[in-house]
Amino acid sequence: MFSTAGNTETTKTTSWKVVLPFYGYAAIAFLIATILLLLSASDITSHYFLPHTLAITHIMALGWCTMMILGASHQLVPVLIEGKLYSNKLAYASFTLAAIGIPLLIYGFYFFDMGLYTQCGGILIILAIITYLINLAISMAKSKQENVHAFFIFTAALWLLATAIVGLLVLCNFTEPLLPKDSLDYLPLHAHIGIVGWFLLLVMGVGSRLIPMFLISKYSNMQLLWWIYGLINAGLLAFVFIFLYAASKFLFSIPLLAVAASIVLFANFCLKSYRQRIRKKVDEQMKVSLLSVLMMMLPLIILVIIIALLILSPKENVNLIITYGFIIFFGWITAIILGMTFKTLPFIVWNKVYHRLAGKGKTPNPKDLFSNRIFKWMSVFYILGFVLFTTGILLHSAIVLQIASTLLLLTSLLYNWNVIKLLMHKPASYDECNYK
Amino acid sequence: MMNVITNNTIQCTVALAGLQNIMDPEIGLNIVDLGLIYQLDFDESEKKIYCSMTLTTQFCPMGESITNAVQENLKLSFPEYEPVIELIFDPPWNHEMISAEGRKYLNEQ
Repeated sequence: MFSTAGNTETTKTTSWKVVLPFYGYAAIAFLIATILLLLSASDITSHYFLPHTLAITHIMALGWCTMMILGASHQLVPVLIEGKLYSNKLAYASFTLAAIGIPLLIYGFYFFDMGLYTQCGGILIILAIITYLINLAISMAKSKQENVHAFFIFTAALWLLATAIVGLLVLCNFTEPLLPKDSLDYLPLHAHIGIVGWFLLLVMGVGSRLIPMFLISKYSNMQLLWWIYGLINAGLLAFVFIFLYAASKFLFSIPLLAVAASIVLFANFCLKSYRQRIRKKVDEQMKVSLLSVLMMMLPLIILVIIIALLILSPKENVNLIITYGFIIFFGWITAIILGMTFKTLPFIVWNKVYHRLAGKGKTPNPKDLFSNRIFKWMSVFYILGFVLFTTGILLHSAIVLQIASTLLLLTSLLYNWNVIKLLMHKPASYDECNYK
Repeated sequence: MMNVITNNTIQCTVALAGLQNIMDPEIGLNIVDLGLIYQLDFDESEKKIYCSMTLTTQFCPMGESITNAVQENLKLSFPEYEPVIELIFDPPWNHEMISAEGRKYLNEQ
């Protein structure tokens, strides 16, 4: 029954060396995005298809949100699939390809140069996603367990690949006509398979595992999670079909209803997990993450209004579309990341620095490795900045947008402060730890 | 603490009291009241301490640190014995394994 050395090897988690570069990269990307937002705040309401707006959107979507999710995913995949990550080398390759590809793409968008370098950026990002998918697929194949969370992650990564391929086609279509319509016409397809297929599906897959786990909830409902999974994917497939082959805008209500139903069901899942929690105290990081679940409803409401207005009149409401995009990237997804960074990163850093000291002496708590006071201020600036910026877009007010983007820049500075504090953390007595 | 299977020696009681100093860093509850220790036996003839334990989730990022801490804690408390740790996931950990004291603590937190 017992092994002499202990059989703890089978539960080894992903190395911090794989994960931390993603976290660091994402933090810098968030800072750059908020600097560019401040610089472009006054003209952001002109149109959503402007070089600076495109650049900011892609820094947020790829540099901030996707890099952070990929990093956290490499750490969490073993927990979610109940098996080891197949290859650290593939994870490094995925990081390197994306880390080079993203700036090339952003540079192209910012200066509206859709030429070779920008296209190379797009290709590198696709290669990064394929590398990630291979790593994920082999990890899942080697795992003995099959669970709904693993399906969420893998399918989300497939949708990310589809998003990137459509994005590259749209990009190349500017210089060489590859698609039957203008590039601009394909933006809703590119955006929605990315937002719903990649971000929503992945957040739900990971959230449905982590939220009950962190709350120590008695609630569990795998059947409901399969329903959510089915609704989102059916909705997305219907959306792609309607977008490519149907002319009626009214038909878009079908995928919208499917995705709306999945969000309501997921919110209900989180609410029941919260109500049936054993651990009564909910920390600040979980509060921000739970807030992001509520924030999923906001873009949905705006999308309903956008579609309703499009059915009534063919002229699109640019302000609402910009608000919709802002709420998704700076609202919903950013709120999750701001909360979840400080639920995961302190533990990764703690493991890096103290795991060999465990049981040998007093070590600090992972929660003490960053400043909770800075975290609280970051949350205050973030909520104020987010609400004000949304108001600024809707009111077309340059001064409100300037104030709000300054608050969001402060948010990213405080976020980076805490991330740097964590990444640079060293034990009181350096010699006691073996970093190798 | 009441759920741990032991061979009812005084050493087991002392060992479990020592293991109560190891906290799950995320939950903030000690691993004994959390229900991570399944079985603890002292083998006098072999001079070994057999500890059968689990984690709240397999591939828990803190798993290695927690098992290292158990190993070191038992070594410190009983230097003449060799601790042998076995991680098992059948049955898997669930919230019902938290002791009454642990539940009370989490409720009051």
